[in-house]
Amino acid sequence: MSTAGAASTVKERADLALNDEFLRKAVKFTTERLRNGKKQASAEHGNWDDWRERGRQIRLHTIAHLDYYLNLFANQARANGVHVHFAETSAEAVKLSLEIAQRKQAKSVVKSKSMVTEELHLNHELESIGVEAIETDLGEYIIQLAGETPSHIIIPAIHKNRYQVADLLSQEAGETLAPDTSVLAGFVRKKLREKFLEADIGMTGCNFAIAETGSMVLFENEGNARMVTTVPKTQITLMGMERIIPSWADLEVMATLLPRSATGQKLTVYMSGITGPRREEDSDGPDEMHIIIVDNGRSLQLGDPEFQELLNCIRCGACLNACPVYRHIGGHAYGGTYSGPIGAVLTPALNKNVAEWDDIANASSLCGACYEACPVKIPLHEMLIYLRRRKLERGHGDAAESLGMKGFAAVMGNSKRYAGIVKLGKLGQKLIVRDGGIRLKLGPLKGWNTYRVTPSLPKKSFRDQWGTLEQELRHGLQELDPAARSRMEAIVRDRDSKGGSGHG
Amino acid sequence: MAKQAGSHEEWLEQLAEESKRKQEAFMNGIAGKLGHPRMTSAPEHPFRGAPDFWEAFEWPLEERIDRFEDNFKAAGGHVARLLDMEAAKRFIAEKAEVLSAKYVIRQNQPELNELGLEEALAGSGAEVRVWNGEAEENWRARAAESDFGVVVADYAVAYTGSVTVLSSKDKGRSVSLLPTALFVLIPLERLKTRLGEVLRNFDAAGREQLPAGIHFISGPSRSADIENDLTIGVHGPGVVYALLIG
Repeated sequence: MSTAGAASTVKERADLALNDEFLRKAVKFTTERLRNGKKQASAEHGNWDDWRERGRQIRLHTIAHLDYYLNLFANQARANGVHVHFAETSAEAVKLSLEIAQRKQAKSVVKSKSMVTEELHLNHELESIGVEAIETDLGEYIIQLAGETPSHIIIPAIHKNRYQVADLLSQEAGETLAPDTSVLAGFVRKKLREKFLEADIGMTGCNFAIAETGSMVLFENEGNARMVTTVPKTQITLMGMERIIPSWADLEVMATLLPRSATGQKLTVYMSGITGPRREEDSDGPDEMHIIIVDNGRSLQLGDPEFQELLNCIRCGACLNACPVYRHIGGHAYGGTYSGPIGAVLTPALNKNVAEWDDIANASSLCGACYEACPVKIPLHEMLIYLRRRKLERGHGDAAESLGMKGFAAVMGNSKRYAGIVKLGKLGQKLIVRDGGIRLKLGPLKGWNTYRVTPSLPKKSFRDQWGTLEQELRHGLQELDPAARSRMEAIVRDRDSKGGSGHG
Repeated sequence: MAKQAGSHEEWLEQLAEESKRKQEAFMNGIAGKLGHPRMTSAPEHPFRGAPDFWEAFEWPLEERIDRFEDNFKAAGGHVARLLDMEAAKRFIAEKAEVLSAKYVIRQNQPELNELGLEEALAGSGAEVRVWNGEAEENWRARAAESDFGVVVADYAVAYTGSVTVLSSKDKGRSVSLLPTALFVLIPLERLKTRLGEVLRNFDAAGREQLPAGIHFISGPSRSADIENDLTIGVHGPGVVYALLIG
């Protein structure tokens, strides 16, 4: 990744992010805003869990029968006059895209947001054959001018402030633009209008593909995806092979879940269903339309009980906004195309190189907030554990940690040995305890104590007190403290008078 | 030139052959990984569409109108309820006057053909063009230079505050996209409660009957990409009027 620079581990990249005060604040603010928007929108809509369950069932069903639905989609799209292509690898997808651009003698390609093209590094490839690739989503355009990659799946330029944006756009304009959002957006509108009208090819991603009619569906707010699919003579759509849903009826469920989960909107400003190139008598829309169906590691998840559900993802970004780790370190720290909890699982899964990406799986506190936020209920927190386990099984574990775990097993498996060790520890820690904690960053405590303080062993352990505790438990506490009793009685009275489920 | 065009066709043909071969391998691979033989007939899909409780949900007309208005306004759009098409014509003419619109482009729809917008706007000096009126015109450029686009909605949805426009020879996708301001006329009988009431029509129509472009529009073009600051009119129309008629 170009933005990762020399930093090669999540920790190094996160350190870079943590040093950037603005980034940290911007990520926190944006994710809070989106997360609250989602909470409000899902609560207002009501029966949110029923909708999530329905969304999950539709995705599960489609993926479980993907050979049928994808085949149907390809045949129907072809019947609509679309040129359908299949690419097993990113290299094949790039080759096809470049070949079309060359055949069309294209000078420029206008693009609307597509995570698949980010996977393929397609902009770079197009530039290499002398074709200008222009991102037209406002945020994507900004980071393209900065030579960076998206840091958030929904708000890609989350890490730039308006002064940085004004500097970038002023260079492009050849004059100084005020750091005012409407001035900056106005410049981009004018500039990109020209680009849309002169571009030879429009390139898009695909939110959903409807198998029964061979249609592709795009969700967006700016109108740039509509531009890209309306104005240029040739349209190329890059689509992950799992984007399929069976019918337009199923689209209602996805349209209910996706915008609410992404931004808290009831629907994005534009939702477009494109069915083939322009009809012969139409005066706009592309003359020639290509859809490239991309595998690039996706099919590796099929039939894998632990990871198949990854293909249910609808790319809403809700898990990023919910994740305490993402909110702290930002998207670039993940080092792949996809960031946050979904990126932590998807990147190694698509790349099938657990060893190389192993530290991403550790960039999570396994708190389950991602699962709670997911509109199609993907158990991401469990997948992170599976990844860590696979990493260990393939011998990519931490040698010191596994030695430690073996020692732990040996000690814990025998009560006499345990008692002896604790006694030894109580004596030994006297050398290193300061303020009731151990801050030593040497030996086995190095990793842990880099960020935390190990509590010292108490003078009287739980085990030491067990005799007394057991007595109390056996015979019960004779008398409840009167103050505590009246407090608890008050709570019970209060609960009765309020009614409700009694869990509050 | 003819020879070159031929070679492009040949190349596309060649790609199509390759694609069909690959499609077989692709699908066999998927079926293999899923651990079942290739599925050639439609599987039973018990969870098709929205949950059952949702399918029965419908607002009475007055509530549909109120909810549509609330939602469309919340997204930054404008709503006016007008008695008839005559009132819609006056409304657009007034706005053209106020905003000094020079070029207006409209769809070639029967309701608009009967409206007499051309005469109504003549006074303010605005020129009205009809989409796809003359074959030789560059209609995309004409739409791009227009101040107003005027369209009649095929459907509208109260629950999400959306209008739906379908493309055809007489209904350009550019007309609802490229002008600075957009006027969408919505006959009240086309206003539904749920998104699903509109979407089901596309399943019922089937592939062969679908237009190339189906667009749901829920307010003005917007972005929050710079410092989360809401900006209106980034690429599409920044001013959108939904005119409820009837």
